[in-house]
Amino acid sequence: MTETFYDVLRRQGISRRSFLKFCSLTATSLGLGSAYAPKIAHAMETKPRTPVIWLEGLECTCCSESFIRSAHPLTKDVILSMLSLDYHVTLMAAAGHQAEKQLEEIKKKYKGNYILAVEGNPPLNEDGMYCIEGGRPFVEILKETAADAKAVIAWGACASYGCVQAAKPNPTRATPIDKVISGKPIIKVPGCPPIAEVMTGVVTYMLTFDRLPELDRQGRPKMFYGQRIHDKCYRRPHFDAGQFVEQWDDDAARKGYCLYKMGCKGPTTYNACSTVRWNDGVSFPIQSGHGCIGCSEDGFWDKGSFYDRVTDIKQFGIEANADKVGGTAAAAAGAGVAVHAALSALKKAKKSESTEKVTGDN
Amino acid sequence: MPPTEAAGALTAAFERIAATRMAGLPMNNPALRVAAIGFRPWQDAYLVGVLITPWAINLMILGDRTAGDLRLAADCRRTWEFPSGRYDFMGGEEPECGAYQFCSMFSPTFEFADQAAAETIAADIVEALFVDASGGEAEQREAARLAGRSTLQVETSRRGFLRGVFSGLKG
Repeated sequence: MTETFYDVLRRQGISRRSFLKFCSLTATSLGLGSAYAPKIAHAMETKPRTPVIWLEGLECTCCSESFIRSAHPLTKDVILSMLSLDYHVTLMAAAGHQAEKQLEEIKKKYKGNYILAVEGNPPLNEDGMYCIEGGRPFVEILKETAADAKAVIAWGACASYGCVQAAKPNPTRATPIDKVISGKPIIKVPGCPPIAEVMTGVVTYMLTFDRLPELDRQGRPKMFYGQRIHDKCYRRPHFDAGQFVEQWDDDAARKGYCLYKMGCKGPTTYNACSTVRWNDGVSFPIQSGHGCIGCSEDGFWDKGSFYDRVTDIKQFGIEANADKVGGTAAAAAGAGVAVHAALSALKKAKKSESTEKVTGDN
Repeated sequence: MPPTEAAGALTAAFERIAATRMAGLPMNNPALRVAAIGFRPWQDAYLVGVLITPWAINLMILGDRTAGDLRLAADCRRTWEFPSGRYDFMGGEEPECGAYQFCSMFSPTFEFADQAAAETIAADIVEALFVDASGGEAEQREAARLAGRSTLQVETSRRGFLRGVFSGLKG
């Protein structure tokens, strides 16, 4: 008999009541609204469990660290019971030949039906010798495992864009996974690391609905990367009023003024930190007095110091990211374009359920 | 306060900021200048409109200068409901216009080639704010995404679901 997610959860001792609550929390955190909770519940009760293989290449394990610290204990239990049963280098009980055998078995048994989650990236120089796993270059393992996967998740800045190991001069030629894997749907979940709730949200969406969530042009899930840090930053009123911190620990810093002049990359960074925040919604870098370093943007290590003021917006690819309004286009093409731009600005600003902090007991 | 007078006070405040604290910053779009667009009465005591500055285009709520009920503490947001949906506003205060609340539409503003384009969109934002957008494009799109090739043909019992959820959520 085929095992469903629900069967696995029950075996782990998770009550039906907790299960339904998980479905409701998930629907909310994905911004889908409570109407989707029964759909999630039904899918998890009837769908065969999708195995997840989690590979780690050149990386620091901060993605895994973030992931297992997902705020809601129930979410953590549910997600981990889905994952750790299969293959995760850091979390699985198996080791050595036993672990490698397990990986082969999952690949064979679930050919074309498993999800591949990749943390880190493969270095390509010297035939991939800068990252060896089980005696083989990581790039080979990655390509083989991706070939039979249903879809691929690129966790973090490393897998999505390359991150610090790909910073100039990139001696090992560390390469984002989408440059190595072809013919598979890839979702990028950048950040260093990504927010735990974003990671669990993406995994849950894919496991329950059997498809990728809606992506932006860079392949990131729109539900979490649709807005800049700057758009929802709690220090934003100070920016609009021109009140800036001029140097560390000055009076303005103590008053919590805007950190733009201290190099904050909030105006050019797409992520959910200023709404979801970190550690169960406790805080995020700007709230602790330091500017955003833009860790979820492509090539953030090569864009100057973290303390350099953002002077050239174009350098940060804002124009490629933002919904184009094109002032001249709006004037030439008439009211239609302008109305569309106005509507999409309102839509982006609209309060979505995913931005509300999800709290509750276990 | 009549809309024209309040919009004038708001413009004065932000023209001062543009000439002083924000002067010369690279976040400014040199093609734009401060302008208050489409301000209209809202819920008796307030005015709603759009403020254009070289660094941001924001939805604004203004009130009586002396009342001060628009004042918000740092890290506080107030949700306002308009026909098109619910929006979170943050608070600010300047001597010319008193306390105000705003919701960011564009920042930075480099998408706009000239003042006319920005003013056209600002006016459209105020119009669209008051149009009911329930069952909107986004929801329909998400529903369509999930309908295709879906494993979710059958709904669970609504009664059972609601009981489970509500007994679980309160705790």
